[in-house]
Amino acid sequence: MPVDDPGRLLSSFGALGKDSPQASSGGDADVGSSAEEERSRIEEMSDSETPLIVSRFEANLIRILRFFLRQVPFEQAKPLIEGKHARPNCLSAAALHLIRDSLAKGCVLYLVRAGAWRRERFLRGTKAVEGRLWERTEPERLGLSFSGEILEFLLWVTANSPRETKSWSVRVEALTPADQLLLFLAYEAIRTEPDLVEGFRHRPGFVRNALCWLMYPGDFAFALDALPSLDAWMQEPGALILEAMQGTLLHRWVQIERNKGQIAHWDRMRQEGQAEERILTALTQAAEKAGRPDLVRFLLQAAGQVLSPPDMTPAFWIGGLQGGGPARLADRLEIQRAALSLLREMERLQRWERHARNVSFYDDEYASSQLWKSDWERLQGERITERARQVLQQLEPLRMQSGSGT
Amino acid sequence: MSRAYRIRVRESIRRDLSASDEISCDLELLEILPPEQMRELLRQELQGRGFELQPDGKLSRQQNGVTITVDPEQGTVSVKAEASESVELESQREELGYDDFGPSEEQIRQRLQQTLNQELERRAEQHRARLQTKATEQLEGELADVQKELNQAVNRVTAEALKRKAASLGQIKEITEDPEQGSLTITVEV
Repeated sequence: MPVDDPGRLLSSFGALGKDSPQASSGGDADVGSSAEEERSRIEEMSDSETPLIVSRFEANLIRILRFFLRQVPFEQAKPLIEGKHARPNCLSAAALHLIRDSLAKGCVLYLVRAGAWRRERFLRGTKAVEGRLWERTEPERLGLSFSGEILEFLLWVTANSPRETKSWSVRVEALTPADQLLLFLAYEAIRTEPDLVEGFRHRPGFVRNALCWLMYPGDFAFALDALPSLDAWMQEPGALILEAMQGTLLHRWVQIERNKGQIAHWDRMRQEGQAEERILTALTQAAEKAGRPDLVRFLLQAAGQVLSPPDMTPAFWIGGLQGGGPARLADRLEIQRAALSLLREMERLQRWERHARNVSFYDDEYASSQLWKSDWERLQGERITERARQVLQQLEPLRMQSGSGT
Repeated sequence: MSRAYRIRVRESIRRDLSASDEISCDLELLEILPPEQMRELLRQELQGRGFELQPDGKLSRQQNGVTITVDPEQGTVSVKAEASESVELESQREELGYDDFGPSEEQIRQRLQQTLNQELERRAEQHRARLQTKATEQLEGELADVQKELNQAVNRVTAEALKRKAASLGQIKEITEDPEQGSLTITVEV
């Protein structure tokens, strides 16, 4: 039965994994059956009107978490993030309940607002399904599970100032897609604060975070070799997050392309262009491998918006560059080409469409091919690719024209 | 009482400088005939224009200091300009020392030598930058001609391929070619 109320998802979304460290240091607190009893007692309490009681540190942690989830203004969270607070040995059951509750509601609310509410078509197994995210997915498959690494992160960010070099030792491979979503939200929340962002972006939890890379590739240009794999994001639940974030990704990539004309330094353009090129290639390759072209639909839409005026020239992207740039023509060209990486990806998307034309009804990839052909036609992929090709050709000092015959 | 001494140090360096610049692009051939036949037509056309077949299957030609290389297998063209130069740079500096000969003089000599070395390296770097500019200008200067010629070659290959394709379809009744407009009309009786 279709569900129109996203609130109904809350019961299935957002739960800290059973292996979550309940204790903050060393995980040595026994939280077995007694903790379960405590938890059920707390849950009963939370249903009543009685407020839950937490320590000052726990209150700070929850406020910081709610700031990351866009529920508390920055002014309230800033002193708490910048300050240092003595880390307790363990968190109370009441605090854990509130953290779990905040994660469950906050992450779902973010994803719903980001675009999960839109009626869109995405692949579900061997067929394309239309509807809102919770209509096209069975409730039991919508769960987001957070690992203990997230609790460690929250404890670290509450106890220490991110400016300090004291490391937050995260096991990147243990991070779930839901963990990465929260880390991305944390990064985005503090991104406009130069002091804080410097304390975050060099840490593995962010530099190896696919969502951070997808939304802000230029921020991670210093670590091209740390580019994370996007394979996990082509499977549930990562793919569901990407589906929900299509609108956000579209908006961000249009912004990235429009802002390029403001870049004056050749070196910065080179770094940004290379980072964008890497993440776009990784994303489209992963989507191709997993047979999920629908997950990169936002790229086609972004290119369509950027290329909507018919007479675009490369100056839109590289017109802001000051001075002559590197002495070698080859180096200048490499930078200019990197700046137009989104347009070059259109060629790959067109190849998918050409391939899709030859997929028959009996092939496994029939549904994905049909969906991609329909997206391609609806979003005018042919026109976008042709315009992209024209812009790219203008950039080439050695433009080779193939003959045309009738 | 110390006397002033004039300490003079002379240094020279010899450098073999080289600079290069290269750009490459794809050479798109329409698939009128099977790829091997299109590549063969391209090879013949380029060899007719003075390109030499290399052991690795590429065709290359040098003109006005740039090397044009076409790889028919990969369908790429690269144009490379190289420049090299041997420079011998010399410089000298002098400074006054007020002590008798001894450690002080040695220190002054070492400092002068270090300064001279830095200056000579800087001048060598300036020479290298000038050489780089020369190579890049050479490349940029040739690009328009190279582009024009390669476009002509591609058009000739396309026209030849069309003729062969038409001949395989039926009897060619008429061929009208306008090299200025770049148009080719073939009438075939099937």
